[in-house]
Amino acid sequence: MSKNPFPLSKQDLLKAYRTMRLIREFEERVHNEFAKGDIPGFVHLYAGEEASAAGIMMHLNDRDRIASTHRGHGHCIAKGVDVRDMMSEIYGKADGSCRGKGGSMHIADLSKGMMGANGILGAGAPLACGAALAARYRGDGGVGISFVGDGASNQGMFLESLNLAAVWNLPAIFVVENNGYAESTSRNYAVAVDSYVDRAAGFGLPGVTVDGTDFFAVYEAAGEIIKRAREGGGPALLECKMIRFFGHFEGDQQTYRGKGEVEDIRSNRDCIKAFVAKVIETGVIQRAEIEGIDKEAVTLIDEAVAHAKAAPPPAAKDLMTDVYVAY
Amino acid sequence: MHRVGIIANPVSARDIRRVIANAAALQISDRANIVLRVLACLKACGIDDVVMMPENGGIRGHIRRRLDCSHNRGETEFPKVAFLDMPVTGTVLDTLRAAQLMRKEKVSAIVVLGGDGTHRAVVSACGAVPIAGISTGTNNAFPEHREPTVTGLAIGLAVTGLVPPSVAYSANKRLVVEVNGAQDIALVDAAIVTECYVGARALWRTETFRELLVAFADPEAIGMSAIAGLLEPVGRGESGGLLVELAPENEAELTVQAPIAPGYIRPIGIAGWRRIGADIRYTPATRVGSIALDGEREISFSERDRVTIRLEENAFRTINVSACMAYAARHRLLQRAAMPELQRSVM
Repeated sequence: MSKNPFPLSKQDLLKAYRTMRLIREFEERVHNEFAKGDIPGFVHLYAGEEASAAGIMMHLNDRDRIASTHRGHGHCIAKGVDVRDMMSEIYGKADGSCRGKGGSMHIADLSKGMMGANGILGAGAPLACGAALAARYRGDGGVGISFVGDGASNQGMFLESLNLAAVWNLPAIFVVENNGYAESTSRNYAVAVDSYVDRAAGFGLPGVTVDGTDFFAVYEAAGEIIKRAREGGGPALLECKMIRFFGHFEGDQQTYRGKGEVEDIRSNRDCIKAFVAKVIETGVIQRAEIEGIDKEAVTLIDEAVAHAKAAPPPAAKDLMTDVYVAY
Repeated sequence: MHRVGIIANPVSARDIRRVIANAAALQISDRANIVLRVLACLKACGIDDVVMMPENGGIRGHIRRRLDCSHNRGETEFPKVAFLDMPVTGTVLDTLRAAQLMRKEKVSAIVVLGGDGTHRAVVSACGAVPIAGISTGTNNAFPEHREPTVTGLAIGLAVTGLVPPSVAYSANKRLVVEVNGAQDIALVDAAIVTECYVGARALWRTETFRELLVAFADPEAIGMSAIAGLLEPVGRGESGGLLVELAPENEAELTVQAPIAPGYIRPIGIAGWRRIGADIRYTPATRVGSIALDGEREISFSERDRVTIRLEENAFRTINVSACMAYAARHRLLQRAAMPELQRSVM
């Protein structure tokens, strides 16, 4: 079958798969390496949530800015940040994205429009408003996108940002990556009304909920929302209902999860498996092409880890540099 | 004792049509208040036993708080409400499971709060139990639009037998879709589109529309059935349905301006249409695409799959709210004589 029934070209389908596979490989490898004790600080892994980052970022370019979360590796990769720079940063090495001084929760690359992962929950939302305001002043059609988890969406600054974006009609988009747990607290306990569409409506914004494990659902919805914002249609909220494969942080014993929950979601709700099944079933992409990308991802991550391990840490003389960054 | 079930979906009216069409986003607290209004009506009709689908979207919490407040104040406005003992997944599986359990518990009727998709899920699992629909979704071609208080009263009058079954219940048609033998249903319409993925589910790219079958076609409806309704209306109680062959606008000799989503009116290319009878299997001409059931892409198919669609009559029962209320007025079911000393002539 030669006809492509998807809303993306074959080239873009392969790009989306490459992004998701690279995120998965990166996160699985960080999981293993962290267990060895070589990685300083904390890491929060994005595995299982790849369809959200890939489905949204396929619509963006380098002029669009995103503000990420503590679980930011997937956003970084999908936005085009170099995985070798990222891995070095996570290992705290001098040639990392932030010269080894930020670590996992502060990876940034402004040249790619990645304003940074963020260790402060909900803090990305006002940054995205600022980026959106700047884009509007520049008149370049850019958008500002904030990612937030279901837990951080209860933070005041997130809600204040929804209001600000609505009042100023900013090209800002608020993505709630709802994986069901605020650290170890179930949303069933901690969110009085488990509807982010309701919250958006409270500020006069349209909100949309999609299955965040379905790449095509995220891609379609994000495409309409981003196009609307670029054209001056204003801010919107996108809730991606999704799942995370690992704990809140590496080392989390996950006693709050149901028995067999992780095995079940890995078997039945893996966004990458679903994507592959779909594109192969229709004959648009061949199994060999998928396997080629899988090998490519393994090689890239092997190289990134080897490089990061061998790279030097920041020197003592650099202790006081890079504390403030001029934009 | 009559027991009534309530299935209130917290996640209907949440899709992309909020962005592309300014569709309504009925809030959780509004949905919970609708349930409370229905509960008050059921109690007023003498029903004191209600079972609800549990969910974690906020409806259950809101209702429990209100019931507690009412109890604290010594009121007797609401019936006893229990929640089914079942896991909550936050997906359509909850609706299906709740409808199955309510059927097993032999409830007299199931009240459904949701859009066409929620009603479809309930109908697929409730068997002979009659349903009463309350519109809280996006297109809502199936549930009729009225104040839920009136629907609640009609349910109470129907299930207590105050309105006889021959008046209280209506038979409904549905469309049965089979893909390689696996069945699904649509209550209003089944559309064939060329997009071969479920994605964001909603239908708004008109150039992908190819074929449309409707169980009924109401010119006052919105959604895919509106296309058929504006060509040749077919009543809910009327025998047969309608098949419409669709085409890209620039290839069709006729277009119809149809509201395919709330506030979203687009020219739809029409290649032809004809009436269809019950129980005749229709095989779509489109070989690769998706089947949208009641306006949402649900099943994608390719040349390898065998797809048929047929209309089924007398498929399930609904409570006929208009008939119940008219009967109640005619037979003075809600009238009570005052105490003799207060009685006076009513002109």
